[in-house]
Amino acid sequence: MWRWTRAARRWGGGAALGALAAIRPAGLAAQTAAAELAVRFAGWTAVAGFEQAATDSLLALLPGSARDRAGNVVVTLGRGAPRRLASCAVDEPGYVVGAVTDDGYLRLRRVPGAAPAPLFDQALEGQRVTLVGDAGPVPGVVAVRSVHLARFRAAAEAPFTVDDAFVDVGAASRAEAERLGLRVLTPVALAKRPHRYGDGLLAAPVAGARAACAALAAALLARPQPRGTVVAAFTVQSRYANTGLRAVEALAGPFAEERQAALAVRYGGTPVETVSLAAADSLARALAAWIEGR
Amino acid sequence: MTGGRRPDGRGRRALAAVLLAACAPAPLRAQDDARIAEAQQVLAALVETYGVSGDEGPVRQAVQRLLPGWARTETDTAGNLWLRVGRGDPLVVFVAHLDEIGFTVDSILDDGSLHLRPRGGFFPSLFEAQPALVHAPGGDIPGVFLPRDTGVARRAPPPLRVSVGTASRAATAALGVRPGQTVTMPKRFVRLAGARATGRSFDDRVGCAAQVLAVRHLDRAALRHAVVFLWSVREEIGLEGAAAAAAALGTAVARVHAVDTFVSADSPLELPTFALAPLGRGAVARALDNSSVTPPPYVDSLAAVARARGVALQVGATNGGNDGSAFTRYGAVDVPLGWPLRYSHSPAEVVDLRDVASLADLIRAVAESW
Repeated sequence: MWRWTRAARRWGGGAALGALAAIRPAGLAAQTAAAELAVRFAGWTAVAGFEQAATDSLLALLPGSARDRAGNVVVTLGRGAPRRLASCAVDEPGYVVGAVTDDGYLRLRRVPGAAPAPLFDQALEGQRVTLVGDAGPVPGVVAVRSVHLARFRAAAEAPFTVDDAFVDVGAASRAEAERLGLRVLTPVALAKRPHRYGDGLLAAPVAGARAACAALAAALLARPQPRGTVVAAFTVQSRYANTGLRAVEALAGPFAEERQAALAVRYGGTPVETVSLAAADSLARALAAWIEGR
Repeated sequence: MTGGRRPDGRGRRALAAVLLAACAPAPLRAQDDARIAEAQQVLAALVETYGVSGDEGPVRQAVQRLLPGWARTETDTAGNLWLRVGRGDPLVVFVAHLDEIGFTVDSILDDGSLHLRPRGGFFPSLFEAQPALVHAPGGDIPGVFLPRDTGVARRAPPPLRVSVGTASRAATAALGVRPGQTVTMPKRFVRLAGARATGRSFDDRVGCAAQVLAVRHLDRAALRHAVVFLWSVREEIGLEGAAAAAAALGTAVARVHAVDTFVSADSPLELPTFALAPLGRGAVARALDNSSVTPPPYVDSLAAVARARGVALQVGATNGGNDGSAFTRYGAVDVPLGWPLRYSHSPAEVVDLRDVASLADLIRAVAESW
């Protein structure tokens, strides 16, 4: 039933990590915060290269944090050797506006280039999206043929692709769309509706990565006492050959050891990518213990 | 003006004028802020209530809450909600349907997932890999519509299943899930630019809302005959509620107005061959669809009423069926009223609230003066 991602195997899975960590006050605090933060972070819209709203939230949340010139949010704890790095990726695959039509529809360009999953684009069809315009988030929908007017839809019809997408924000003209702050390069992603179900499960696009970042943030908020120096980085543009992470390594490294936070997920790469909030709690405890060198 | 009167040339000229007016971006009479705000308040409450065909109770209750205090409603054995006003012949019926498309739980599988049965017509791919809600008597049980693991080369998924996060039939049953319960995906009413809004189940919550708005503003003293406002059940699976109401009324009904979606081709994805009713240009006379044709003189009369009351009206043909057609076998004339909708039966239906207000104005005008 569970589909384990390669990233999850890197960490060995949430349950295994839970067993690594002893329960300490810092661990308890991390546990309390991780699940709550996971739900909150799962609501972010942070298309690769356009993560500023999410990183602004992290800067407000994490004492002592700073944005580096690549756009990553970095927290440095402790001093001296060894110098270690814990990181997670903030960004998500998505789209930008590629063109605005005369009648006010937006056409899309995928970010980065390739679809991360075979039906990634199809998840847009007939669903609500968020466009992060110059004046803030703008809701829209991706047009779909009305079932009543569809004369024929073959069972073998090819999946919906980004080239089929017309985003409807309610504008009737190009000028009206532009007045909403929408233009070429405006980032676009599925509207986030973090959805809890079952016994502590969270479903959302990129829920695994967001819960992993929540675990790292919760670990930091638990005020662990680091062994040596620990740099915690919430990195941008992971979808572009890990550009953000490479920048942290160049700007704040070298590091004797690196850990990338990740969690096992079900239904990875879909709008209902599912992660266990208990696993996020376990990861937060494990990260706090790792920061402390235990 | 009565339903049996054949309109004269004046009516035809009026229709022509209205058709021309519909082609120009003229402001609607109903565009003032208070009317839009009220339309949104009523519509949002109905859209954010769930009611798959056969499980319309919550929507029926929401309609009852939204009606004015004087409105004394009855619910028949089929589940239709009735409101009778005025006295005398001819009897005129307005009918909007309470139900929405969705699924029922067909069975619980060994792995705890739910096998589903669709209720109504829609593209199942729009539900695949989306959040789900199982509507149980004790409250909604959240889950997810499972993504496929095969067949990614085509748009249509295999039969959809829902997981409620369990791994066995017993664990699912322990949550309170039972066969026969209805399943949907979560929905919200969201404003778009201008007076546009998006959500799911605008078909036919807009019709329900327009009837509520019309009743709220109805001048009961102006009624010259009996009017029944009906909120029907199980339209999406074959006009079942309307059929029951029509049988109960028999030949007493002179005219029926289904108040339902005009599925519009106002979209970059549709063929521009018919159903070209732009959003924001007002209510639509749904003069021809798959279930009924309105006699042309009645379209003329409707246009005359709209013109006399200053209500914008478009006229067109679209696809789909309507509840009014269930009354025609008893001799009633079906004059369906609609509003333009984009992306029908999807999670992202789009309406213009000016059209909702216009439709409410039209219903009121027809009740009071035709």
